[in-house]
Amino acid sequence: MKPALESLRACLDGAIPAVIATCAPDGTPNVAYASQVHYVDAEHVALSYQFFSKTRENVLAHPYAQVQVVEPGSFRHYRLRVQYLRTETGGPLFQYMKAQLAGIAAQSGMGKVFVLRGADIYRVLDIEAVDHRLPPAPPPPDALLRLRRTLDHLGACDELAQLADRALAALTPGFGIRHALLTMLDETGASLYTLASMGYGHSGIGAEVALGKGIIGVAAHERILVRINHRTGDYAYHAALRTAAPHEPRIPLPVLAEPHSQIAVPLMHADRLLGVLYAESEHDAFFSHADEDALAIYGRHLAALLAQLAALPDDAEPLPAAATPAPTGAPLAVRYFPDDHSVFIDNDYLIKGVAGSILWTLLNEHAQSGRRDFCNRELRRDRRLPLPDGGDNLETRLLLLQRRLAERCPAIALEKTGRGRFRLVLDRPLALHAMS
Amino acid sequence: MSIRLSAEQAAFLQGPLSINVGAVGRDGWPCVCRAQGVLVARDRRALTVLLAAGRGREVLDALDAGSGIAAVFSHPATHATLQLKAPCAARVAPNSAHHACHARYAAAFGGELAALGYGDELVRGLTALTAAGDLAALRFAPEVVFDQTPGPAAGRVLATA
Repeated sequence: MKPALESLRACLDGAIPAVIATCAPDGTPNVAYASQVHYVDAEHVALSYQFFSKTRENVLAHPYAQVQVVEPGSFRHYRLRVQYLRTETGGPLFQYMKAQLAGIAAQSGMGKVFVLRGADIYRVLDIEAVDHRLPPAPPPPDALLRLRRTLDHLGACDELAQLADRALAALTPGFGIRHALLTMLDETGASLYTLASMGYGHSGIGAEVALGKGIIGVAAHERILVRINHRTGDYAYHAALRTAAPHEPRIPLPVLAEPHSQIAVPLMHADRLLGVLYAESEHDAFFSHADEDALAIYGRHLAALLAQLAALPDDAEPLPAAATPAPTGAPLAVRYFPDDHSVFIDNDYLIKGVAGSILWTLLNEHAQSGRRDFCNRELRRDRRLPLPDGGDNLETRLLLLQRRLAERCPAIALEKTGRGRFRLVLDRPLALHAMS
Repeated sequence: MSIRLSAEQAAFLQGPLSINVGAVGRDGWPCVCRAQGVLVARDRRALTVLLAAGRGREVLDALDAGSGIAAVFSHPATHATLQLKAPCAARVAPNSAHHACHARYAAAFGGELAALGYGDELVRGLTALTAAGDLAALRFAPEVVFDQTPGPAAGRVLATA
């Protein structure tokens, strides 16, 4: 029976180079190594186009070729009869292959040589299993079972902070993942910010990634899952890319210095991108194709839960504020820069953007009226805040702010007092300075 | 008119390399097969590549039908790659030297892959590719040698008849 292309996906990870045979117009054969043979769908593969080579010259003239791929765990060979259809030089497939090629190139020490110029799309017309006698590679762990275990650990979450933490923690018993980030799309749609992390020396809460930059940014920009199964020396594909100019304050992403496997899963709810789930490992080939499928489903599930929580109505009645003595001690200097809404506490950068302007608004309200209890609804209507219409990412911004304060300035805290309600708690007096 | 391989090229070709042989069938379809060992003639004007006849049926049929041959030799650790082409190749009966060459090759290439971190399964799979009685030997006199090391210079002609 002819093998299905899906069953050959392990052969298409670049672990063992593929070979392509083509034919020149005069009938002369040509054999060349293919850096990357990418699974597109059940009937198509894409080969990386890096240089104008004899292979390319041949397939443009005579579009029929044979590609030999090898299963890494068994050394079983397969031969694919393929027909060249077209070359893509942009878009999700191209970006995915570009990211993956960076990983393959670094693994093979060819980082400077391997630059993707196009993704050559081929239709697979026939597949021949060459080595019937060889035993198959041991099957990878059952990804469906891993997904089920992950969802069991995730459980029911009725609160954003709980969901953010459990979404990452559940990946350890499920997939053995020990390093992961949950990043959310910000209101500008141009960058993502880190809402939760797992397995790093520092949390990196609030760290930003520009859309289109690094593996996380590419996954967000193209709305595709990107998996790199080898260490990549190409800085562009490190997750840690920043949005701000070098002189601006930043929070570093807490990623591994040299990940050997990376996966970035867009969190899509219907056609809306909410964020990116990122995981990485010190080991090569950590994420199988089946893991990729399972994590894509997990990403959809998380996005649905995030959207569901954001849509829950706030509690209606404000809670009465309990009387507390005024804080004592040396005042904390809080400086606010309206240009980017950045807030510094005693000269240390805390936060910027929507979260920065929320904090500044709350602190000013408190300074003027003594108010400590607030609700999301009034913030959504507050014209001083740069929230998009509807302010549906307000909750994630408040959680980001709450976590940054807990890490960097525990003297100022936001305590949840109900759904959509919170209280400002101050341990120190504040001196507010709006900078021009 | 064949060319004479340089001593360096001859030595390189007989190293622990990944070898693949291509041809074009009567129907115009290109085909490829992994080879397992090569012997370079003493005068360096011809070489004999060894492959498993069962696995290489399509390539062997194409060559029997008069196809030209393309053989690619690549060193996994460095990616140094040569491609040799000839207008034809002749099947020769495998002899004891061919069998010995194949055994040496399997051990050396297996060792090379193991040193690169490929697992035992892969090395075992490699050595299992060729059953002893299944060996085919293809002799050809290359007319062109290309440098095919990945990079912008890939495809450069190193020697031509």
